[in-house]
Amino acid sequence: MLEQLLIFTRGGLILWTCKEIGNALKGSPIDTLIRSCLLEERSGEVSFNYGAYTLKWTFHNDLGLVFVAVYQKILQLLYVDDLLSIVKQSFSEMYDPKRMRYDDFDETFRQLRVEAEARAEEMKRTKQVAKPLNGVKKQGQVSKEETKKSNGEKKDDGDKVSVLSNGNHKMEDDVANGKENSADNNINSVGVDVSKLAKLRSKGVRGRGGLRKADSLGSNKGSSKVEPPKKATKKNRVWDDAAAAPKQEEKLDFTDENGDNGHVDVVAAADQGESMMDKEEVFSSDSESEDDDDDEPRSDEKPEAKKKGWFSSVFQSITGKANLERTDLEPALKALKERLMTKNVAEEIAEKLCESVEASLEGKKLASFTRISSTVQGAMEDALIRILTPRRSIDIMRDVHAAKEQRRPYVVVFVGVNGVGKSTNLAKVAYWLQQHKVSVMMAACDTFRSGAVEQLRTHARRLQIPIFEKGYEKDPAVVAKEAIQEATRNGSDVVLVDTAGRMQDNEPLMRALSKLINLNKPDLVLFVGEALVGNDAVDQLSKFNQKLSDLSTSGNTRLIDGILLTKFDTIDDKVGAALSMVYISGAPVMFVGCGQSYTDLKKLNVKAIVKTLLK
Amino acid sequence: MENLEGLKLMAEQWSNQGIEYLQKIPPFQLYAAIGLLLLTTVLLLSFRLVRRTKSNTVLLSGLSGSGKTVLFYQLRDGSSHQGSVTSMEPNEGTFVFHSEHAKKGKIKHVHLVDVPGHSRLRPKLEEFLPQAAAIVFVVDALEFLPNCRAASEYLYDILTNANVVKKKIPVLLCCNKTDKLTAHTKEFIKKQMEKEIEKLRASRSAVSTADIANDYTIGIQGEVFSFSHCCNRVTVAEASGLIGETVQVQDFIREYI
Repeated sequence: MLEQLLIFTRGGLILWTCKEIGNALKGSPIDTLIRSCLLEERSGEVSFNYGAYTLKWTFHNDLGLVFVAVYQKILQLLYVDDLLSIVKQSFSEMYDPKRMRYDDFDETFRQLRVEAEARAEEMKRTKQVAKPLNGVKKQGQVSKEETKKSNGEKKDDGDKVSVLSNGNHKMEDDVANGKENSADNNINSVGVDVSKLAKLRSKGVRGRGGLRKADSLGSNKGSSKVEPPKKATKKNRVWDDAAAAPKQEEKLDFTDENGDNGHVDVVAAADQGESMMDKEEVFSSDSESEDDDDDEPRSDEKPEAKKKGWFSSVFQSITGKANLERTDLEPALKALKERLMTKNVAEEIAEKLCESVEASLEGKKLASFTRISSTVQGAMEDALIRILTPRRSIDIMRDVHAAKEQRRPYVVVFVGVNGVGKSTNLAKVAYWLQQHKVSVMMAACDTFRSGAVEQLRTHARRLQIPIFEKGYEKDPAVVAKEAIQEATRNGSDVVLVDTAGRMQDNEPLMRALSKLINLNKPDLVLFVGEALVGNDAVDQLSKFNQKLSDLSTSGNTRLIDGILLTKFDTIDDKVGAALSMVYISGAPVMFVGCGQSYTDLKKLNVKAIVKTLLK
Repeated sequence: MENLEGLKLMAEQWSNQGIEYLQKIPPFQLYAAIGLLLLTTVLLLSFRLVRRTKSNTVLLSGLSGSGKTVLFYQLRDGSSHQGSVTSMEPNEGTFVFHSEHAKKGKIKHVHLVDVPGHSRLRPKLEEFLPQAAAIVFVVDALEFLPNCRAASEYLYDILTNANVVKKKIPVLLCCNKTDKLTAHTKEFIKKQMEKEIEKLRASRSAVSTADIANDYTIGIQGEVFSFSHCCNRVTVAEASGLIGETVQVQDFIREYI
């Protein structure tokens, strides 16, 4: 049964709640929905889970109303979407901005609910005949399909289509009429979409409900592949094409006990001036209308059928009376999505953003003298600024001081895939902190890559800060623990822990990383990602977060707290990686690395990035 | 073509007639008319300028969950209706306070703006700051200590904003939810926030020449920060949105509007 149905304004005032079902809700599901879904630009999603409840919502963008239905997660009520839309219709007829109480709506609502339930019952009865057949096939097909996929069978195409059709059936059961049409549209579109969808499902990117199952299946397969070779040689980290013979293990540790062989030149302390973190960002404020002219030639390229549409849209833009429909928004949103993708935003993220903007604009009245494209652009700009604005304070200095008062060092762990620039940017952060009179210590927990410890040692000598190292082939978690103890002993304010690069799919390495984080409980887990990455950013971050949450031992799960974006100087205006990373993880971008010297570290300028993305 | 020629001729004739008519009017009347026109435009423009400097906008800001929306509706309607949820958009209204409806005489309307407190919507505050005449910073007195740091950071950002410093916009630190037993007193809250802002001052106004995030620094160098050091007036008051205890807030607003 429905737990609660609320109607409230976008400004936050509750207009009506269903008084018949007077159950108090456990926790605060509505507030959580707003904070973690609607304000995070995920309004295009189907539903939101909170504790034991599932929430569904719909907007009336013209009047600025939000309708939310809450019900128990275990029940799969079919009539909720239907109910929400008819409630929206009838309420908007009686809505008056001056009125605050709508007690007379209770009667109407009761009738509507009874009608909706009756309709759902009927639909269920007609589907009862077909349901038993589908149900059995669905379960069997999905698990079989997954095993086939991971073993790389050749019947891929057939399986992909069957996954999609099963997904369709799934969607039918969950959601009432409305969504089905959109699913059909997805199939009818280009075949590439089908394969992409299937690929995403098998990777389990979204990680909710049934898809979580797919991902755990996939990861189990991965780990089982690596197990047998691992049992044979425990010491060596063996890759699939293991060439190193077991006997050579001992010889691989080339750490020189006495430091360098006397080639120690007295390195002068690196002082290259002010870090760019402290410099004001000056960007030219171009006029905002420069891209309006770009839209015109693009729209003229479309066939003649559009000419009539263009004329009527111009007419409508002057009078400003039209209500925005989905069909009106589609071309503008599609163009916007293409533009975002040319700026290196991951395809999935661009899609989700466009859906969210669509949900927030549908049904809204066009203001006079504005075109649809400029309204959409404005809404997208707002959405982007909202996403890139950090959810919590990113004032590291303040955190460092707070930790100092508690007489413990502030621990930062740098994680990321191979070759993104962890060690380089660690040195830059150390330089910046040093400039602000904070005592820093480095911990060389990358005990795998040859030369990693020497690299950090060189940086430490140039910056004249202590470094804690234990050589190679040691357990990084233990090294980190000892480093923190050492820092507490000699009174360092900050400990920067460098870890080895690892792929997000590599199960044993990810396990080692969570062990390091669980054991040492760092204050900040910084994910280092390069700005050159494309669609893989989504996969990297979601997998990292998932592994960290799955493998955490204590109740307090530590996820990625911040992002360090590197190699920013190598991309000119293709700044989309920042958006993809922030959207998928929810973590703010704390630093941006824009060069290879110590001073090349700066903060993210949200307005500049949004401008570049929408140019 | 012939039509065009005909039209041109007629237009010329009319313009000639107009000019003759004008020349017939005595010059004095003409100058008087033009002078009157200029005078009225100048007067209108000056009135508009004078009125614009006295804005009547008051901002309600504070962290998410501190009770701004409830306070807004209390001031406007005298009741918080059926409760509120996290705001996604600002609530604006130009009105006379509900408690002042009974008063006679001409009371100036207040343009009250309730700015959402969620950190993602922080840029919205920047939009409204230029037109603000006074700011009410609402703090949750019940759940004060867990949010103390975040609230102080927000207040620090407001107090160091260029608009606030230059125009010396007065700020009221309003401790909300004082109807509950375990709510802290306003003196306690004031002291705690001064301490937190002192720490922020130390960490923010650092070595660099350009202050990292804030336009100005506040307080006097070398002394512990206190609200009296601000160039704009900062006062503290108590209120309760739920039961409608908003007298102190209304007095503050009426002082400046």
